[in-house]
Amino acid sequence: MMAEWCKPAGRVRGVLLDISGVLYDSGEGGGVPIAGSTEAVRRIKEANLKVRFCTNETQATREKFVAKLQNLGFDITLGEVFAPAPAACQILKERGLRPHLLVHDDLLPEFNQIDQSNPNCVVIGDAADNFSYKNLNQAFQVLIGLEKPVLLSLGRGRYYKETDGMKLDVGAYMKALEYACDIEAEVVGKPAKMFFLSAVSDMSLEPDQVIMIGDDIVNDVGGAQQCGMKAVQVRTGKYRPCDEQHPTVKADGYVDNLAQAVKILLEHLH
Amino acid sequence: MATRRALKAVLVDLSGTLHIEDTAISGAQEALQKLRSAPVAVRFVTNTTKECKRTLFERLQKLNFDIHEEEIFTSLTAARNLVEQEQVRPLLLVDDSALEDFEGIDTSDPNAVVIGLAPQHFNYTTLNKAFRLILDGAPLIAIHKARYYKKLDGLSLGPGPFITGLEYATDVKATVVGKPEKPFFLEALRSIGCQPEEAVMIGDDARDDVGGAQNAGMLGILVKTGKYQPGDGGKTNPPPYLICDAFPQAVDHILKKLL
Repeated sequence: MMAEWCKPAGRVRGVLLDISGVLYDSGEGGGVPIAGSTEAVRRIKEANLKVRFCTNETQATREKFVAKLQNLGFDITLGEVFAPAPAACQILKERGLRPHLLVHDDLLPEFNQIDQSNPNCVVIGDAADNFSYKNLNQAFQVLIGLEKPVLLSLGRGRYYKETDGMKLDVGAYMKALEYACDIEAEVVGKPAKMFFLSAVSDMSLEPDQVIMIGDDIVNDVGGAQQCGMKAVQVRTGKYRPCDEQHPTVKADGYVDNLAQAVKILLEHLH
Repeated sequence: MATRRALKAVLVDLSGTLHIEDTAISGAQEALQKLRSAPVAVRFVTNTTKECKRTLFERLQKLNFDIHEEEIFTSLTAARNLVEQEQVRPLLLVDDSALEDFEGIDTSDPNAVVIGLAPQHFNYTTLNKAFRLILDGAPLIAIHKARYYKKLDGLSLGPGPFITGLEYATDVKATVVGKPEKPFFLEALRSIGCQPEEAVMIGDDARDDVGGAQNAGMLGILVKTGKYQPGDGGKTNPPPYLICDAFPQAVDHILKKLL
């Protein structure tokens, strides 16, 4: 099996893993692990490779999210997870922005330390059922009433897979508000370079020492490649066969799932 | 400039051109009568997404306009025609009051999506349903892509933003059937059986009426009633064939100069 992405042997010292679609599929009752993924994560750590989890999931706080994954059998800790909400809070504080939040109810605690009075920007996350016409209209009215409208989007994914089918992701609603207000959103989270690089530097590694494994050809694979990492697409989660003929992104490898990616990686470690 | 063929059809916008809400434009009823004495077909064209043909027809009748329901061509009609042409079964995300214009269309087991202004359908569950259909190959038909519209308590999101979101998520381009898109005008003329070069459009919206019509190969007459603002004549390229005060003056010009 061709595995150029593992070469040269000894170069790869760390792995960045997407969560949804790689570790598990989200859905009713918390979701379902993808076959072989819990074991795969364990094997990566046992091989003394560094691991960080880069996710754009914004339907819960990191604490709740990590607890859920631990319950599903994953060896994962809070400090290993990089998610958009904390990165957004950092930006809000730095720029004196007070957000009108259009996010999932369970994400709200991440913004407890943020002043939300008299909003001068809108932060949009994967709000799921909170994406009602009424709520979107409210966010729109905040933006259209600002002299300098600022829209921060936690990710820009087009859709993701849940156990009961494909669902629209925050990107679709970000585009809706962009069109309505004739503005461009700022993206926090994948595929923003800063987001990937903060995870890489947290491992004290250089990008070319890290492999990204994800199910989203543009936001996981393309985004990571833009930072100088090699990136592999799994055929689980939101993967669709047409992804392998994507007009602009060619993954460094296509594998059936995380378990297979890890098997290949460990075979080429030395 | 190429010689134009003989005029065979006149397309007339409704709101702002023949009437404003429940008041007719002064002299418009008589002007329409005069136009009917000429050997041209007349069609009344509008971008409504909420009002079915019957409602529009009844309003015009009340204002004493000599008009027949079959002469009314709306963006909803354009959508229906496209659905019939393509032989698809649509998921109709349109206002309840617009459903009447889709009577007789099979909507079971949908394999197409039609979107108009329908806030009650723009919720997460229904949009996901539409999204999955389009991802599976269903065509996306948009009545129009207005960004927002004016309500009593401020601005409200139109269908445009939701259509844009679906286009982004599915990487599929919507077919927009309303003004100012070319298909709208061509479709309106198809029912008369004439070419754009044999038709003229009269309307108060520089971009949607005149710009759209001229882009489709018709002549455009801009009237200074309704939403017209000074300077609108400069908004289209090429500029309107004619700018005149109101519908009666437009009809006079047609009768004197284009027949």
